[in-house]
Formats: sequence, C-alpha cells, structure tokens
Amino acid sequence: MSSLPPLPTTVIGSYSMPVWLERAKNDFLQRKVSRHDLDDMYDSARKAAVKDQEVAGIDIISDGELHRDNMIDYFAERIPGVQVDHGSKRLYYDFYDSVVRSKLATGSLGLLDEARFLRRFSQRASKISISGPHALVKRIRNDFYPSEEAFALDLARVMNFEVRELVREGVTHLQIDEPYYSGFPEDLPWAIKAVNALVDGVSAHVTLHICYGNRYGKPSFEGTYRYLFPKVLDAHVQALSLEFARRGEDDLQLFKEFKVPFTLAMGVVDVKTHDVESAGLIADRVRRALNVIPAEKLMINPDCGLVHLPREVAFNKLSAMADGARMVREGLK
Amino acid sequence: MIIQRNYSPSALPKGTDVAELTSRIIGPLTLLIERSGIDRDNGQGLRVHLDWIQYKTSFRDPVVVRRAVDQQEQPLPLAEISIDLRQAAAPSFNDYLTNAVDALKGNRPSEGHAPFFLDTFKPWRDSIIWPFNRLFWQQLGDWEAYAKRGFEAALPSGGSDANHPEAVMEGVVEFWDLLHDLEKRGNLPHDIYAMEIGVGSGARARLWLDRFQAYDAEKGSGYYPRLKFLLGDYSPATLDTALAAVGPHAPLCSVIPIDATNPFKVLSFLRFKILFVHLTNVYDNLTFDEIARRDNKLYIVEVRPYVSAASAEQLKAEFGFGTAELPGAIKRLLAYGPESVGDHEKGMAFWTRVWDVLRLEERLRAIDEGDDAHLPNGVSRSPLDDVLSEVPHDIRFHLSRGAAESFVNTAALLHPRGYLQVQDIFVTSIKDYVHGFRGPGKLDGSFVTWVNGAFLHAVGARAGYHVNFAPFTHRKGSKTQILYTKRRD
Repeated sequence: MSSLPPLPTTVIGSYSMPVWLERAKNDFLQRKVSRHDLDDMYDSARKAAVKDQEVAGIDIISDGELHRDNMIDYFAERIPGVQVDHGSKRLYYDFYDSVVRSKLATGSLGLLDEARFLRRFSQRASKISISGPHALVKRIRNDFYPSEEAFALDLARVMNFEVRELVREGVTHLQIDEPYYSGFPEDLPWAIKAVNALVDGVSAHVTLHICYGNRYGKPSFEGTYRYLFPKVLDAHVQALSLEFARRGEDDLQLFKEFKVPFTLAMGVVDVKTHDVESAGLIADRVRRALNVIPAEKLMINPDCGLVHLPREVAFNKLSAMADGARMVREGLK
Repeated sequence: MIIQRNYSPSALPKGTDVAELTSRIIGPLTLLIERSGIDRDNGQGLRVHLDWIQYKTSFRDPVVVRRAVDQQEQPLPLAEISIDLRQAAAPSFNDYLTNAVDALKGNRPSEGHAPFFLDTFKPWRDSIIWPFNRLFWQQLGDWEAYAKRGFEAALPSGGSDANHPEAVMEGVVEFWDLLHDLEKRGNLPHDIYAMEIGVGSGARARLWLDRFQAYDAEKGSGYYPRLKFLLGDYSPATLDTALAAVGPHAPLCSVIPIDATNPFKVLSFLRFKILFVHLTNVYDNLTFDEIARRDNKLYIVEVRPYVSAASAEQLKAEFGFGTAELPGAIKRLLAYGPESVGDHEKGMAFWTRVWDVLRLEERLRAIDEGDDAHLPNGVSRSPLDDVLSEVPHDIRFHLSRGAAESFVNTAALLHPRGYLQVQDIFVTSIKDYVHGFRGPGKLDGSFVTWVNGAFLHAVGARAGYHVNFAPFTHRKGSKTQILYTKRRD
C-alpha cells in the first residue's frame, strides 16, 4: 500500500446496478437478449462504474461487479464440478439451484479477465472480490462431501489456484466476502480454516469482509461482532472489513479489547439508505475510529456493496466518503 | 361486436339463470347496434363487457359507455359498452341500453336528460372518491350516528374478519414462536417491536395484546414486558379511541399518526427493528388506479363524476342547490364538512344523498409505456412488466399503488426475521381479473376495492420478499385472504 495515501478509500466491490441492466439480465434469462448483447452492456456499465469511482476520488477501485448476478451464482457457474440448473430462476438476482455431486475439479474461474479489464481501463490501484468458501457452502447444495467443512476446504483449494494466478497477473488487493458468518457464528472455526486455505501462498493484501448481509439492501442478521473474537484473529489476512455506519461504532472497542493486529477496513457509509452522508459525518466517524486504531491500520470504505443504490446516490456517497477521508488526512499532517 | 364475459357463473348468487339473463340483454342490444351502424363504423370492433359487480351499490349505472382517447385526449376508435348484469332488473334498463347506443352514435341526450358533470376526467387516484373517503373517516362518528349503524355493518359480510379470536390467537402463537427462535439463537432484541397499522376501533389490538400476554405468561417467557406495540393510524381521533380500547396494555403502546402508504417516513428510526406488522382492511382503501390492456396497448382508466339529470333535480328539490350551486356545495362539503352546507341535519342528509347518487363515467386513456409516471412511488416498472407478461389477453386490473407503496415502505422497517401480515381482499392471480370485474364498490360513505395481490407478489419479489396468500378460514364464505411475507434468501 506504499503508493496509497493514509486512510486509503476503497469500495466493497459492487457498484449501483442500473435498472436497464437489471431488465437486460432478466431478459437474458428469458432468452430475449443475447449473450453477446448482454456482454456488450456489461462492458459499458463496468467502464462507467470505473470512471465514477475515479471521479469520486476512490483510491482502490473495483470494476463494479455489474456482470455478476449475485455473489453466489457468479462463482457457482465457474467452479468446475458445481452443477447449475439454468432454468431455476427468472429474476437475475435470485440464486440458481446449484449442487455439487462429485469432487470439485480445478480450472479457471474467469477472474483474470476482471483483473485485466481493470488494468486496461484504469491506472488506479484496484481489487478483486471473491465470495468466500463459507458463503458458497451455505448456498450450493452439497451431495458429495461428508461435511460443510470438507466442502469449504475443497472449494478453497480450487479457488486458491485462481487467486494465485491473480497475484501472478499483478493483482495486489484481494477481498474475501463472507456475509453469512453473522448468521452462523458456530461455523467460525472451520470457516476461518477455509479462508486460510484459500489465501495459502498468496502474497497480496487480503481483506476479509464480514457484514450482516445486504440481500435486497436489507440486513440478513442482527447482533454484534463480538462473536468473531478471538477466532477471527487466526485468519491469515491483512485487513478486516466490517460495517459500522449503519450499526454504530460500539464494536470498535473490540479492536482494543482483543489487540487486533489487522488493518480495519471501516464501513463508514450506510448502503441501506438513500440518504447521502455528508463529508463531515464521514470524517467524524473516521476520527472516532482513530481513537482506537492508528491511522496506518485504517482503511475507509462503505459498509457493503452499492448494488442496491441508485447510481446518483452511490456516486454521491462515494464522493462524500472520499472527501471525508481527505478532511481527516489533512488533520494528520 | 366482441362480447367479453367478465364474471364466473359459479360466483353468481344461487338461482341466477345467467343464460336467460344474458340472452335477454344481448338480443335487444344486438338489434340496437345493428340499426345504429356503430359496429360497422368502428374499425376495431365494438366491445361489449358483461360484468357482475359484486357490490350492492357502486359508482356505475346499469349500462355505461367507455370511450378511448390518446395521450392528448384525442378520440380513438376503441369504444366499449359495459353492462352490470346485477342491475339488469332495473325498471328502465332498456332505456339505459338505448341511451348507450345513442351515445356511441354521437347523439346528445334530449333536453333535461343530460347528466350533470361535477369534474373532469381523472385517474382513479386523483378522483373525487378520495375527498369523500377522507371526509368519511374524519367524521365517522357523525356518519354512523346519522346512518344508525356502525361502518362495519356495511361490509359485505356484515362485519370485519379482523377480530376473529381464533385467527388472532393463531397470529399470537406464530409471533411467539419467532421470538422464541430468536432467543434460542441469542438474537432476540431487548425491545420487541410490533405494529398494527389501521387500528380502527382498537378491538383487534386489544384482543391480540390480551392473548399475547396470556400466552407469554403460560409459557413463562417474559416477552410481554419487553413488547413495544405501535398503534398506527392516520386519524388522531381513531388513535385516541384505540388507545382507550387497549386498556391495561396502554403502557406498552405508542400511538403513531401515520400515513399507511409510508410508515417509514415517521418511523425511520425503527428501520430493520420491527418484528411484526399487521394490517386489516387497509390496502383496499388506499389509492389505486386501473390499467386496461386492449389489443396489446395499455390504457389507464379515468373517471368523471356526475349525477343523473333526475338526481340533480331531486337534489335541487331537497336541498335547494341547483346545478349552478351544486359543485360549490359539494366542494364545501368535502373541504369543511356537512355543517358548511346547512345545519348539521341538512348537511348530513346532503352528504349521504350526494354519495348515494354519485356516479362515475369511465374512459380509457392511452399511456406511454415508456413513461413511468403511472407507477407507484418507489416501485420500478419491472413488477408491472412481470404481471403483464403472464396475461396475453385483454385485461383490466388494479394498479394498487397505495398498497404497493405501503408494502415497500413497511418492509423497510422489518427486522431481518420480521414479517408482514395483511388481511384483505386480494386478487391473488392476475388471471382472475379476466374472470371478474373487480372495480370499486360503495360502502357507507366510503368505498372498497380489490387489491392486486399478483402485483404485490411481483413488488415483493423485487423488495426481497416472498409474498404468499392464504384464505381466511375462520369464517365460512369469507372472501378475505391473508398476505404473508417471508424474506427471500
């Protein structure tokens, strides 16, 4: 992160999904739009997402993930050995019925194209987000492995190949998304083990994003992050990305209490409301975090993906976030 | 001439000889149409709709003419005659038939027979029925005293299904089970929020709270003292009544003046916190529009209020308001209440009489399908597209805008495990609109209309909820359905 400013800003991954693209995705499922035309739309939408992030002033950008239907299906369709029933959904955002009936094979997951796309169309630092093994295990039916843990570890083995390839391709920032931990805290021991298998031998800045869910712009669970500790400290990652904007900052104290060694990628933008935070409010949130966490261990991002927000709202939130971070940086000098 | 049957014979009252009824109408009508030549002149073919309006009173005369206009209100060739078979026994029914055909031919009514129009054409959502509806709920006590009966007596069943003890108990057990499950997982919030929107007399809330308290005590779970029960209604007077009705539970209750179409506006501080929201007979009294599809083109139904020439004469004789004064008198009534048109007795008599004789002429106005102006606030066009994709036929259906807005703005308050239950009259499949006219009917001073459940299903899917319907089984013959939500994964 040497070329990045202090308190670097980033996104969780997804950018605002245009209504026209939603319609095209649904039409594709009903064979009213061709694969070629849909890919063409993706190309334009992703370029626009990249540009919006750059103009908003984000330091580490994503491609907006607008070509992904949701965080599960994109991977389920690509992991060799997962059988996907392509007739099982009418709305793109729904999940396919997918099942694994034999040991997973290794093969390309197509993430290299994302990395190349980002490098070709932006000079900014960028990152690739990957759905974590725990999230995938919770949605893909397992008819083969003896346990969820075994399934997760094998998924991690397969995905590890791709992640290593990404790093070879020059990717420096990776993020693992695990939105279901909060609903299944009892899974944490094997879920962290699977994360470690996924990043084994990977020399990149890895963030583990743990939220309370954002399906349809709503949380899936409620509670506090206390359940994560101390188990999460075993994760071989550099940063933890947690949501604080919507839920308040009480859980910041957990970083002090458990002497957390990771960088905190702090959620300072509430993605479940269309109300745009002011830069001042963002700055206040960051300053409160600085009471607990040193600046060199703090990154700034929204609570979760921006997929459910209208584009104007998403853009304004990112702009406010970048401005707020800048305000705090000024004070650090 | 295209004849469309908008009723299901099985839904008609026992003993109705529908074949005889229909043939008695179609014969003379065909003759009138043949003689008039209107069918020949109409390139798209005259449509004749045979309806059975299930309400005892409605806004329609026995036979009505419905014309179509484009977006700039220029006439289109499409025209329809709609016949309410239920009113076919009216003494002057054949005159209505003749007048309808004459109207389509372009003949003006003879002197002294022209209806008196009270306003211009507007979509249902902006029509005159809303100020009447508002006045009714604001001055419910006055109406009930004058009519010498409670408003629930005017419901088709003679009462509300809201307060059925078994149904309420079922709901209580379901809610307790949710709390228990959350507690087992260590996720039960300290404050347990539940809400009733449209509390009416407060009787249901009282019953629910009584049963919940007892069940909680029986289980020894200690949830009742943690309960925060919100009584929501847009009428402060109703809220006062409801708060009194909940009696000993009042310390747990808060009254919230609320617009049922947007509870989030007032309660945004409870975002994702409310575990249970219940509404009974609210959606059917929220703003709606009707959309008609004819020859694959979409039209919005617009209505124009009128009173017949005979009714206008009667109003003049009874209240002294001739046609010059009548619009002003009605405007005063709706804005300031019955006393604004005379003493209380006269004002009440005028109000009830005008409501009784009020009729609405309908027309179809073409809409630009690319324009989203007709869609409910906060709802994209996708749910409407979903619904329309399921029906290839010509169809007329509700765009239940108020209900859709209410759904979306209530769901935003729900806890991740929270749910919404709505007891109302839902058309649960869009195809059911093909088999029945579902337009609004009159109640005492108010109105009732079916709610497009299929549309809500599509709206719910986009908002992250499975929306399902189950019949209300606690009263035989009940047309009520219960809408249940479940979070989509």
